[in-house]
Amino acid sequence: MNFPIAWRLGSVLVLVGFLGTALTGYFAYQASRTQLIKASEDRLLTATHVLMRQVTVALKSVESDVRLISQHPQAVRILLRSNPSFQTLTEENLAKIFEGMLVVHPEYFQLRLIEAGNHGLERIRLDRGMGRLLRIQGDDLQEKGHYPYIFETLKLPPGAIYVSHATINHEIGAHAGEHRPSLQVAAPIHDKRNKAIGLVVINVDLHGLFSQLAADLPPELKLYLANGRGDYLIHPDPSHSFAFDRGQESLVQDEFPSTTAMLRAGQTGTLSIVTASPPTSPEALVAAFVSQSIPGMESGDAFILGLSQPLQNVLSESRQLASVILGIVLSFSALAVLLAIVLARAFSRPLSRIVEEIRRFSAEGKIGSLPVARRDEIGELAHSIQQMEKQIHQQIEELQTQQETLDHLASHDSLTGLPNRRMFLDRLEHALARAKRQGEKLLLLFIDLDKFKTINDVHGHAAGDAVLQAVAQRLLSLLRESDTAARLGGDEFVILLEGEWDDRMIEQMVQKVRAALASPIAYQDIELQSGGSIGFSRFPQDGNTASHLIATADQAMYGDKPRDC
Amino acid sequence: MMPQPSTRSAPVSFQQESIGRPSALHQLSIALLLFSMAASAWADTPILRVLAWPGYAEPELVKRFEQEHQVRVELTIITTDASLWEKASEHNQGIDVFAVNAAELQRYINANLVQPLIPEKIPNTHRQLTRFRDLSAIPGLTRHGKSYGIPYTYSQMGLIYDKKQIDTPPKSISSLWDPRYRKKVIAYDGGTHNFSLAAQSLKFASPFRISPKDFPRATEKLIALRRNALAFYTQPEESVQLFMRHGAALMFANYGMQQVQLLRNAGMDIGYVIPREGALAWLDCWVISRDSRNTELAHAWINHMLEPLAGQLLAEHQGLNNTLSDQTEGQTDELSVWLEPPEETALREKLWERIRSGDRLVRVLAP
Repeated sequence: MNFPIAWRLGSVLVLVGFLGTALTGYFAYQASRTQLIKASEDRLLTATHVLMRQVTVALKSVESDVRLISQHPQAVRILLRSNPSFQTLTEENLAKIFEGMLVVHPEYFQLRLIEAGNHGLERIRLDRGMGRLLRIQGDDLQEKGHYPYIFETLKLPPGAIYVSHATINHEIGAHAGEHRPSLQVAAPIHDKRNKAIGLVVINVDLHGLFSQLAADLPPELKLYLANGRGDYLIHPDPSHSFAFDRGQESLVQDEFPSTTAMLRAGQTGTLSIVTASPPTSPEALVAAFVSQSIPGMESGDAFILGLSQPLQNVLSESRQLASVILGIVLSFSALAVLLAIVLARAFSRPLSRIVEEIRRFSAEGKIGSLPVARRDEIGELAHSIQQMEKQIHQQIEELQTQQETLDHLASHDSLTGLPNRRMFLDRLEHALARAKRQGEKLLLLFIDLDKFKTINDVHGHAAGDAVLQAVAQRLLSLLRESDTAARLGGDEFVILLEGEWDDRMIEQMVQKVRAALASPIAYQDIELQSGGSIGFSRFPQDGNTASHLIATADQAMYGDKPRDC
Repeated sequence: MMPQPSTRSAPVSFQQESIGRPSALHQLSIALLLFSMAASAWADTPILRVLAWPGYAEPELVKRFEQEHQVRVELTIITTDASLWEKASEHNQGIDVFAVNAAELQRYINANLVQPLIPEKIPNTHRQLTRFRDLSAIPGLTRHGKSYGIPYTYSQMGLIYDKKQIDTPPKSISSLWDPRYRKKVIAYDGGTHNFSLAAQSLKFASPFRISPKDFPRATEKLIALRRNALAFYTQPEESVQLFMRHGAALMFANYGMQQVQLLRNAGMDIGYVIPREGALAWLDCWVISRDSRNTELAHAWINHMLEPLAGQLLAEHQGLNNTLSDQTEGQTDELSVWLEPPEETALREKLWERIRSGDRLVRVLAP
């Protein structure tokens, strides 16, 4: 993994960004969906209220028609047969009035004047037939006394109106109204002694009335009408309308359970309810219901009027909204991804540079450039690392110096600074190996100081040390770069010279050394007189091992020593 | 046509869901889960499909049967003879056992819609009253020596009268025409039965065999009934409302004791009599459909319906008779005139429609 932190950081940022926009989008969608449903419920409810008002107005108009005829003097005259000679003419006149009304009101099936006597025999009757109006006369007139709209109306006081339950009219011979949903609106006719002598009945085409009123509604709105018990009278699916007439049951409260409260609450005044159909129905609906009791309606019955709209239609707007929100969510998520990449890189880049620098430092020990200029945590980190690197670097240098010092101490004589025995032997071995390989020659001088013990004894060890140091300086001054002078210990020195040495050159060299040793050495206020004995050996003539050469030169040196030393 | 207690359908309820809230989906999913669990638990359970009139198979009875036989009962409530005929003839395979009126049963046998019963599989018939055990003595239940129906419940159609208005109980069916009760009589809106009533009142030989020459007289009689009656009803509840609202004195009880029970529950002081001409009476029987997929279970159902509990529920909840014991006042089996298929149902219904609509004799008898 190249950038684990960057990855993790980026993923978290993307996730947070996506979740943020998605949740905001979701709740915005939910809220607006609820609002849309609410708004359409309000619209539906308003429309239902308006429609119910129109229904009430229409029924009022039927009532005033029926009242108008019931108070018509000719109607009373016909029922009382007050003027037999003009009876036919009066009946003709009233029939004309009936005809006029049926022409004006296409929602009227039938208009009748019925007498209380003769078992409720019809006196004047106009039916709507196949495309024309029919005046029913003679034997075709029927006795209707056993129908509730007759005996109920005849019980009413003058001026009162009877409105029947909505039923399917199964009266045979009712022409257009036969087996059709009907409503009977009736008014009693009284004589001068307030005795009910007859009545006027208008059969209203329930379907015609409501479809006329609902004609202006948008096509997706469906109309429902139920009676006070909840039986459907009008339903978008005709098989539900007037189910009770077929011995079945189809109730508004079964399809829209929340209307139960409306049915229970009694039928006083207007009640309204908004509901959604149960999810069991194939298509969910938003529906509004208004309950209205009709004055004069039989046994206080009420109408429940409803309008519904498919929930799909209501939600089509919210689907648009959903796609917009989805777009926003996606683009913001993309933005979040970009932002996350940028941020992750900005965060991980200096870190990886620091890591690289630390790697290089541990590999090469060099302090590279770190982002110390930054004034944030990364800058602080870089700064701390730089400090640490510097410290490490310094400590390593100190260690190296100490190592060199230790090396020097181990291979050099601390007093004179010349290589000690160990190092000399090392060099001698190297030189021998090289000389043997290349056929070169070596010269070894062995020097032992004379009178050194005396100087030590007479002038102290400090003086002896001064002598040794001076000797070492003088010997070094005689040598070339490639030659080696060493102190083997005590007052013994040795010199290794490379190259071709003949006897004369050796003699000259020995003399030079001897002269160097012989010259006085200033020590404090005095001059110390030392001098030395010198022996030599040559490679390959005098031996071919280090110890052999040294032993030979040592031997020779003793030969050179004066007796008293 | 057969009068039956009707209109009450099986209770249907569903949880209302408010659409537009997330919880709706949640609740729905839970409901679906529960449903699928229940469905899987039921998947292997045998199903018995029963068609019954309201009140015939009360939940208590159904539940007990399901527990005893480890089955599920799919109960469909029927409310009219027509819908029963339609279901039995068009969806015979979807039905195991159903209840039908004895007078109608011959139609079903003719149409090969039912199958002979195996009496050994219905041991509870020994609990029944003797007169319901000899099936061959009851018209309509047997064919070629095989039994097709087991009697379950029956009722007479007597007269209900208001004791406050009528001191001495009416004796004859002709009381319906009595001018003393003008506009205080409530009668039934059904042609087949009404012509039988007219025939009884006119002392015809048989209420179910009206000869063509007697039809005008019977028609005239029914027009007279219309003129004497306040109103006609089809539902028991409707009859009770009319009776009480308009202070009726006399009512033809097409639903028998069911109406008596309803009126008494409403606090009415009424009497119930069987007219001396005899009361029309119906007898409903359990039968097994021809295409039943589980005749064993269907027999077990009929046997279950002859347990004392079923009879008790019929009597107490519905006011209906059972076949296990004799019950209640005013019912004399000797005065029962068991329904028989009439000479011509369609003619009776056509004439009655016209009479009910208010036509006078000329028009009713018109071709």
